[in-house]
Amino acid sequence: MPSPIALTSPPRQDSIFKKRSPSYLTAMRSAQSYLIALSEADARARVRDSASVTSTPALSLSSSATTLSEDTVLNDTPYDNSDGLAYPTVPPTSEHIVSADHLQFGFCPNENYRYKSAHKPGTKLEVHEQDPPYYIFLTTYMSYLLLICMGHIRDFFGKRFYPALFRHLLPFDGYAPLNSDFDSFYTRRFKTRIDDCFSAPVTGVPGRTINLLDRESKDYYHTFSLTGTTTRALNISSYNYLGFAQAQGGCADAVEECLRRYGVSTCGARLEGGTSELHVTGEALVASFLGQEDALISSMGFATNSTIIPALLSRGSLLISDEYNHASIRFGARLSGANVRTFKHNNMKSLESLLREVISQGQPKTHRPWKTILLVVEGLYSMEGTLVDLPTILELKKKYKFNLFVDEAHSIGALGPHGRGVADYFGVNPRSIDILMGTFTKSFGAAGGYVAGSKALIDRLRLRGHGGTYAESIAPPVMVQILASMASIMGVALPTSSAVEVAQQHPGPAHPSQLPAWMDLPPTLRDGSEGRMRLRRLAFNSRYLSRGLAKLGFITFGHTDSPIVPLVLFNLGKMCVFHRMMRARKTPIVVVVVSYPATPLVTSRVRFCVSASHTKEDIDTILRACDEIGDVLDLKLLPGERWPLERIMNNAAELVNTDD
Amino acid sequence: MSTAIGGSTSALEPLFAFLSYVLIQAEFVFYKIPGSHVVARYVKSSHQNDPGRTVLEILLALFAIRTLLQSRTRADNGEKHFIQFSEKEVDELVDEWTPEPLGAPLTPEEQSDLASVPVVSGANGPRPKLANSGKQVLNLASYNFTGLAGNEVIKVRAIETLRKYGVGSCGPPGFYGTIDVHTNLERDIADFLGTEASILYSQGFSTIPCVISAFAKRGDIIVADRGINFAIQKGLQISRSTVRWFDHNDLKNLEDVLLSVEKERRKRRGPLTRRFIVTEGIFEKDGAMVDLPKLIELKHKYKYRLILDESISFGTVGRTGRGLTELYNVPATQIDMIIGSVANTLNSSGGFCAGSRIVVDHQHINSTSFVFSAAVPALLAVSASEGINILRNTPSILSTLQENVRAIRAVLDRVEAITIPSHPASPIIHIHLRSAPTLSASTSVSAKPPNPATPAPRDAPSFDIAGEERLLQDIVDEALAQGVWTTRARRLRGQELVEARPSIRLAVTAALSRKECERAASVIKAAVVKVVTKRK
Ligand SMILES: Cc1ncc(COP(=O)(O)O)c(C=O)c1O
Repeated sequence: MPSPIALTSPPRQDSIFKKRSPSYLTAMRSAQSYLIALSEADARARVRDSASVTSTPALSLSSSATTLSEDTVLNDTPYDNSDGLAYPTVPPTSEHIVSADHLQFGFCPNENYRYKSAHKPGTKLEVHEQDPPYYIFLTTYMSYLLLICMGHIRDFFGKRFYPALFRHLLPFDGYAPLNSDFDSFYTRRFKTRIDDCFSAPVTGVPGRTINLLDRESKDYYHTFSLTGTTTRALNISSYNYLGFAQAQGGCADAVEECLRRYGVSTCGARLEGGTSELHVTGEALVASFLGQEDALISSMGFATNSTIIPALLSRGSLLISDEYNHASIRFGARLSGANVRTFKHNNMKSLESLLREVISQGQPKTHRPWKTILLVVEGLYSMEGTLVDLPTILELKKKYKFNLFVDEAHSIGALGPHGRGVADYFGVNPRSIDILMGTFTKSFGAAGGYVAGSKALIDRLRLRGHGGTYAESIAPPVMVQILASMASIMGVALPTSSAVEVAQQHPGPAHPSQLPAWMDLPPTLRDGSEGRMRLRRLAFNSRYLSRGLAKLGFITFGHTDSPIVPLVLFNLGKMCVFHRMMRARKTPIVVVVVSYPATPLVTSRVRFCVSASHTKEDIDTILRACDEIGDVLDLKLLPGERWPLERIMNNAAELVNTDD
Repeated sequence: MSTAIGGSTSALEPLFAFLSYVLIQAEFVFYKIPGSHVVARYVKSSHQNDPGRTVLEILLALFAIRTLLQSRTRADNGEKHFIQFSEKEVDELVDEWTPEPLGAPLTPEEQSDLASVPVVSGANGPRPKLANSGKQVLNLASYNFTGLAGNEVIKVRAIETLRKYGVGSCGPPGFYGTIDVHTNLERDIADFLGTEASILYSQGFSTIPCVISAFAKRGDIIVADRGINFAIQKGLQISRSTVRWFDHNDLKNLEDVLLSVEKERRKRRGPLTRRFIVTEGIFEKDGAMVDLPKLIELKHKYKYRLILDESISFGTVGRTGRGLTELYNVPATQIDMIIGSVANTLNSSGGFCAGSRIVVDHQHINSTSFVFSAAVPALLAVSASEGINILRNTPSILSTLQENVRAIRAVLDRVEAITIPSHPASPIIHIHLRSAPTLSASTSVSAKPPNPATPAPRDAPSFDIAGEERLLQDIVDEALAQGVWTTRARRLRGQELVEARPSIRLAVTAALSRKECERAASVIKAAVVKVVTKRK
C-alpha cells in the first residue's frame, strides 16, 4: 500500500525570497483549515492502518501543516466569510475525506449531485434554438446604430479639438498609422466603453473561486490602476472543467517533485536537443487515454492547430471547416495553402451538400479530383456550447471518404462517461476519427496541446509539423501536471497487471509503466475514484445550470450536457450591466461576456464555464443571481413552463436526471 | 468568425430591409454634413485586410445591398466553372473519388532521422544523461546559453509559485487569465530592455507570426531579409502583405530595395501604407549578426518601422544580455518592435514583443494567438522573471558565455573541412561543410541586382542536401560517441521559402567551463576530420 505523498515528500525548504511567516500557526485556528487538517489526518490514519475502520481523527496536525502551509485561506486571514465563499454550507464531518481547499475545489459530498455524461443512443442531439421577441432585435440594432453615430460624432469633434489624442490613428511624419481610426473604430467606440469587463487582473489559483485584483479607472476605461485590494469571487469563467486548477493535492505534489528533479525547462525543440523522457512517457499515456496508436504533444494549444494543419495539407487539398471553428484552426488553414470551404455551424445538411459539390466539381478551374479532403470540426464549440454531431459525421465519412480532424480543446476530459471526449460521449470507436486534437489548458489545468492518430501519421507530423523543429517543447512541470491529472481520471492499474492487456482495454486504466517511476500518487487518485467524482460532478453541474436557467426562463444556447452554458443577452448594453451586477453582489461572481466579433452581431452573451469544483450550492448561487438580474434586465424571454427558483433548487437532482 | 445572423432571423427579412433602408438614409444624411470623404474611405479601407470591422459597418448600413452582393458573388463563382451534374452523376463521382492517404508513412531514412534524436533522462543541462546510451555528455545541443537550466533559485521560486497559483492559467488573458505574475514579467522585460511596455505570448515560436499579422495587412509593405527564420516566413504569409526581399544581411542591398519600393509607390501614386523592415538580430539560420546602427539609420531615413526578431540574441549578447541594443549601445526605443523568446534564453516558455505602449496595447486586442490562447502558466512566468533578475545581477554569466564562444571558435575556425558563417560573438555556431557545393553558378556573378519580389537569392549556390545531411549526421553521431552532444540544424525541407544549407548547430553555454568547451570543440574537430577523410 503506497503511503500518501504528504508523508513521503521531503520537508519543504524555506524560501530565501519570502520569509515564511509563522502565520499559519495562527491561521490554523481558521475553522476550515482545521477541518481539512482534521480529516486529512484522519484519512492518513485510515490508510496507515487499513484494518481499523474507526473514524476518530488522528491529531497529527504538525505533519498536515506541510500540505497546508500555502493554503490560500491562510494567506487571506482573517477570512471573514461575509461573501459565503470560504466554508461549505454543510460542514464536513470526520466521515468525509476533505483533500482540497474549499476555495479551490468545493466540498460537495452529496452523492445525489452526480451525473454520468453520455449520449443516450437513439436520441437526437437536443439543441436549444429560441428566438427572442422582435423588439429585442430591433433595440439591439438600434443600439448599434446609436453607438456608431455617437462614435463618429466623437471622432469628428475629437480630431478637431484634441488632435493629440488622435495622432497615432492618423498618418504622421511620413508614417502611416499602425492602426487607423477606421480600423480601430469598433475597439475605441464600443469595446472601450465596457473595458472593465475584460482582462481583469487576477492572482492565485483560478479554481472554484478566484481572487481579483481590484482596479479603478479615472478616464472612462482608457487606463486602469490597481487599488491594492483584492476581491474573492465565485469563478464560473475559467476553463477549469475538472477542477484541476489547484495548488495542492496529488497533482501539485507531483509537479513539485518534478520541479526538483527536472527543473523548469527542457531547453529546446523536440528535434533539436529538447526531448525529455517525460515527453516520451507523456505521449504514450495521452495515446492510450484517447485510444489512439500514438500522440504528439506541443507546448501550446493554439500552435498545435496552427502548426499541424499546414503539415497535413498542401496545395490540391481541401479543408472543410465549420463556420464557428476556432481562430487557431483558421490560422492553420490559411498557412496550409489548401483551399478552404465552410459549412453552416453543425448543420449536417449543409455539410453534405457541400461535400457533394466539392467532390463532384473537383479543384477549382482544373476540376482535377482533390488529393485529400479534411473535415475539421470542434468537439464542443466554445462560444455556442454545441456538441458536434459525431454519429452523423461518421456516417458521412463512410460515404464520402474524407478525413476527419476533431479539435477537442473543450471536450477532452469534460465529456463522456470516462472523460475521453466526444467519441466517448457518443460511444464510438476513437480510431474511426483520423486525427484527434486537443489542449491541456482546460480540463487538465495545465498548458499545451496534442494530436493523436495512427503511428505512421503522427511520426510524419513529428517531422513535418513546425513545432518539432522550431518550437520549445513542453515544460516538465506542465507535462507532469498533465500526467498526474490524466492518470487520476484513468485510474492506475496494479503494477502486477500486464502492460499489453491494460493497453488493449479502452477506455481503461493507465499502466504504471506509463507514468514516471518516481511519481507517487495518493490512493484516491491511483484508484480513479477522485477522477470519477470530478467527471460526475461536472456532468451534474453542467446539466443543472443549463436546465435551471431554462426553467427560470432564460434563453441559453447549446447542448444540455455541455459544461459551456451561453446565456444570451442580445442587447450590447446589457453585457456590461450584467457583468457589473454579478460582480457587485454579496457573493461576487465573475462572468465572461462576449459579443461581436466573437459572436454574431445580435447574440451578445454571457458564457458560463461550469466546473467540477463547483458545489451544488454554488450553482444555486448563480441561479439566484441570474434570477434577480434577469428580472431587472428583462432577460427571461423563453416561452413555456417556468419554475420558481425554490422549486429548481429543491428538485435539482430530478431536474438533472430527467431525459427530454 | 462569420457574421451571418443565422437562419433564425430570416423571417425578419422584410423588416430588416426596411430598417436598413432607414439606416442608409440616416447614414447618408449624416455623412453629408462632415463631408463625403468618410464614405470614400470606407470603400478604400474595406480593401484592407480587416473583414471584421468592414462587415460590421456594412452589415448595419448596407444590409440590403450586402445580401444582393452576396448572391451575386455566389452566382459569379458558379457560372464560370461550375459544371451541372445530376444527383446520380454526383453519386458516381463520389464513389469514384479516392483520396490520397493523409501523410505518407516515413521512409527508412526519415525513420532513422527521427530515431537519431537523443532523449534526455532526468534534468537537461550542461551535462545531461542521455536515455539512449545511459551516458553523461557535454551538451552543446540544447538552448541553455546562460546556464539557467536547473538553477536552484529558480526552482525554489517556481515551487513557491506552484503552491500559490497552481499550474495552468485556465483562460486567455482577456478572460481572467491575466495573472499578476504575467504583468510583472511584462514589466521586467520592458524595464530590462528599456522599452515602454511588453506583451507576453505563450510560445516563443508562435509569437512573431502573430505580431506581424496584427499590424501588417493586405496592401502594406514588408521588406524582409532573405535569410529570415521559419516563424517570420509564416508571419509574412499570414499577413498577406506585399513582401520585398533583400540579400541576406546585406544592408546595401536593403537600401536599394527601399529606394525601389519608394520609386514604385511614386509611380503608382499609391496611398501611404504601413511599411515594415523585418529581420533578425542574430539569425537562427546561420548565426550572422545584423549591423543594428546602420539598420536603424536606414529605417529612419526611409520611414519604415522595424520589427527585430531577437529570439537568439536577447539574453545572449550585450554586457548583461539585453541583446543587440546593449551590444551596439542604441536605445531600445529606436526599434518599434523587439521580439524575443522567453524559452530560448530565459529557459522557461513563451515569447514577448517589446515596444511602445501603443504597439503593445494594439496587440492586446488584435493579435490572434494572444487573444485566443491561454496565458502562460504562472510558474513559468515567475521563472522567467527570476531569470532576468539573475542576468541583471550577474554580468559574469555573459562574459563567461562569450569566453566559451571564443574558445570553441578558436578551435573550429582552424578546421579546413568546414566553414562557419556565424558571427564571432554569436552563441549559436553553425558549421557547414566546405567543399561540397558546386559553385559554378556563383562564379559568373551576374551584374543584374536580385529581384526583390522573390525570396530566392539570384545566384543560389547549389548543394546536395541529402548527401551533406548524411555526412553531418555522421559527424554528430561520432561526436556523441565521444561524449559531446551536438545536433544537426533541423529544417522543414520542402516547406521553407529558401532551403538553408545543411549545418551542424552548436549552442554554447556559460554553464560549461572553458576547459570543457575546448575539449568539446576538439572532439567535434576530430569527428569532422575523421568523417571527411573517410569519405575521401
Ligand atoms: C477549439 C480550440 N482550439 C484551440 C484552442 C487553443 O488552445 P490554447 O489556449 O491551449 O492555446 C482553443 C482555446 O481557446 C480552442 O477553443
